Amino acid sequence: MSLTNPNIPEDVRAVAANGTQLRYKLMELTAQYPDAIALGRGDPDLATPPHIIQATESAIRQQRTGLAPVAGLPELRQAVAQKLRSDNGLPADTENVIITTGGQEALFLIMQVLLDPGDEVLVPDPRYTSYDEAIDSAGGKIVLVPTDHADAFNLRPEAVEAAITPRTKAILLITPSNPTSGIVTEERLREIAAIAVRHNLVVISDEIYEKFVYSPWKHFSIGSLPNMAERTITLNGFSKSYAMTGFRVGYVSAPRNFIEAMAKVKAVTTGPAATISQWAAHAAVTGPQDAIADFHRIYSERRQLMMDGLHKMHLDFSEPRGAFFLWTNSSPTGIHATELSYLLLKEGRVLIFPGTGFGENWGGYLRISILQSTDLLQEALTRMEPIIARYRATA
Amino acid sequence: MNGPQQLALPLASRVALLAEPSTSTTESQAVPEAVMQAAFAAMARGETHYTDRPGILPLRKLAVDWLGKHYGLELSADEVTITCGATEARFVSLKQLVGPGKRVFAFSGSSEHIQPAATLLGQTLTHEIDDPSTIGVVYLNSTDDPERIQQVLNQVESSECWIIWDTSVGEPTGMHPVHHPYLNDRVISIGSFSNVLPGWRVGWIAGSKAANKLRAYKQSMTICSTSISQWAALGLAES
Repeated sequence: MSLTNPNIPEDVRAVAANGTQLRYKLMELTAQYPDAIALGRGDPDLATPPHIIQATESAIRQQRTGLAPVAGLPELRQAVAQKLRSDNGLPADTENVIITTGGQEALFLIMQVLLDPGDEVLVPDPRYTSYDEAIDSAGGKIVLVPTDHADAFNLRPEAVEAAITPRTKAILLITPSNPTSGIVTEERLREIAAIAVRHNLVVISDEIYEKFVYSPWKHFSIGSLPNMAERTITLNGFSKSYAMTGFRVGYVSAPRNFIEAMAKVKAVTTGPAATISQWAAHAAVTGPQDAIADFHRIYSERRQLMMDGLHKMHLDFSEPRGAFFLWTNSSPTGIHATELSYLLLKEGRVLIFPGTGFGENWGGYLRISILQSTDLLQEALTRMEPIIARYRATA
Repeated sequence: MNGPQQLALPLASRVALLAEPSTSTTESQAVPEAVMQAAFAAMARGETHYTDRPGILPLRKLAVDWLGKHYGLELSADEVTITCGATEARFVSLKQLVGPGKRVFAFSGSSEHIQPAATLLGQTLTHEIDDPSTIGVVYLNSTDDPERIQQVLNQVESSECWIIWDTSVGEPTGMHPVHHPYLNDRVISIGSFSNVLPGWRVGWIAGSKAANKLRAYKQSMTICSTSISQWAALGLAES
C-alpha cells in the first residue's frame, strides 16, 4: 500500500518514513483544529491522583527541592525495589534501581550502557519507534522480529531465535505492547528466557503498561524467572500507571554494575530527575493504589466501547489484552494508513496515529487510543464512521 | 543483599571512560513564593501531563525575552527548546552539532562543563585551534576572557563550525557571538534556571537553523521536561 494522495501536505510526506517524526507532525497539525478529538498520544487524560499532588505540594512547601543524587532519592529507590519484589517477584535491592527522567530516558540510558557499535537488539515489530532512536544513538542495530495479527501480536520464541546472529546482544520485550496492546504470555516468556540463557543474551523488558492488563490475561515479569536476574534489565515508570506523564519519572531495575554505569551516563546527559517529581513518585508507589483500580475500570469500559464501535464499522482489530490501544486493520479502506490518518484528521477532526508511526511495514493499520472520555470516544466513532465507509465503498 | 550484582554480559566500552558521578547534592534552597504559587497553580489546572515537545510557550518566550534584554538577540519562541537543565542542553548540542572526525574547542578554564559529555560521545576536546577546519564546535561562556573569545571567533569565522554560547555558568556580560557578522546563523545559546531552582531541572537551548534538529534529539532522550518545573520556572520571572 503506497502513499499516493497528492493532497497530503508536503510536511507530512517529508516525515512519513520516520515513525516518531510522523507522530509529532500529526500532533502539530491537530493543534490547528480546536474541535479535534485526539486519540493519538499515549498520555492518560485522567487526573493525577490527589494524594500525589498533595505530596508534591508538601515537598515544595517544605523546601525538599534541592538537587537529588543522580541515581535518585534513596527513599524512592528503596520503595521501588520493594514494589519490584512484591509486585513483580524481582530480586531487587535499592542498589538495583535507578530513577530516570521518564521511561524514554531509561530506554536511552540502557542502550548507551549496553551497546557497542554494531551490537544488535531484537525488537518485536510493530514497535514504539523511540526504540530505533535509542539503539541508533548508541551505534547499535535494530533487528526486527515479526509478530502477526493471527497470533494477537504475541511474540513467537521461534521467530526470536531465528533472528539471532553472532552480534545479537539483547532481546527487547514490551508487554503489554505499544502499539498493539498485545501481551507476551507467561508461557512464551519462559521459552524466550530459555533462549536468552542458551545464547547468552540480555533481555530488556519494558513493562510500562503492566498495570493495565485485561482479564483473563495477566502480567508476568521475565526477570522473576530462575537464572534471569543477572541478564534482565526491567524498565518501568509512573507516567502511565498513575496518569502523571508530565512529572517525568521512570526507573530501571538491573544488576548493580549496570545501574552504577547508568548513573555515570545519566550524570553526563541529563542529571538527576526533578526532585519534586521524585517525591511525587514516592507518594505514588508507597500510597494507596485505589486509583489504579479505578483507572483500570475506566479503561475497560472505554476499550469495550471502542471495540463495539469498530465492529460496527466492520474493522478488524487485534484483541487488546493490555495498555490503551486498538491496533486496527485499516486495509479494507484501500488507502495507506498515513493518508487515512490525515484524512480522518482533516475531514473528521479525529487524530489517530497511522501504523507507519510504529514501523514502515504497517501502512495497513491504525493505532487508536482510548485516552478520552466515553462521550468523546463515542463522538470520535460517529465522526470516523462515514469516512471509513466512504473509502471502503470505493476500495 | 539478594539483588544481582553483575550483568551476565559486558557493558558498552564507552562506560569505562566515564568518571564516577559526583555524590554531592545541593541543599534545598528557599523557593521563592511566586515559584511555589506557580507550581501549585499548574497542578491545580491539571498541568501534570506531557507538555508540547519544545516546552511550554510562555517559558520559551521568557528565554527569548531574556536573550533580547541581555544580549540584544532577536529570536522567536519557535527556536527555543526547554531541556532538563543545562546538562541536557550541552549534551544534545554536542551530540548533534559535532560532525564525524571534528574536534571541540573550549578554553581550559571552562572545558570542565563539557568534558564528560565529549568523552561519552567519543569527541576530542582541544584548547588550541591550529586548523579551524577540524573544529566542529566552539564552546564558550560568559566567564571566558572577552579578548580571547574574539580571537577564537575570528579564527573560525570562515569555517563551518558551530558556536555554543553557554549562559548558565556566569552572569551575562552583553557580549554574544551571534553579533559576529560571519557567525550569526551558526550560534546557539544555552541557559538554565538551576542557580535558583537546582533540583527542578529546567534549562533551554535557543537559536539557529539547527533548532529543529536539537529539539528532535531532546525529544528522543526525555520527550519533554517536567511540566510543573516549567511552570514554576515561569513563576521565577514574577518573583
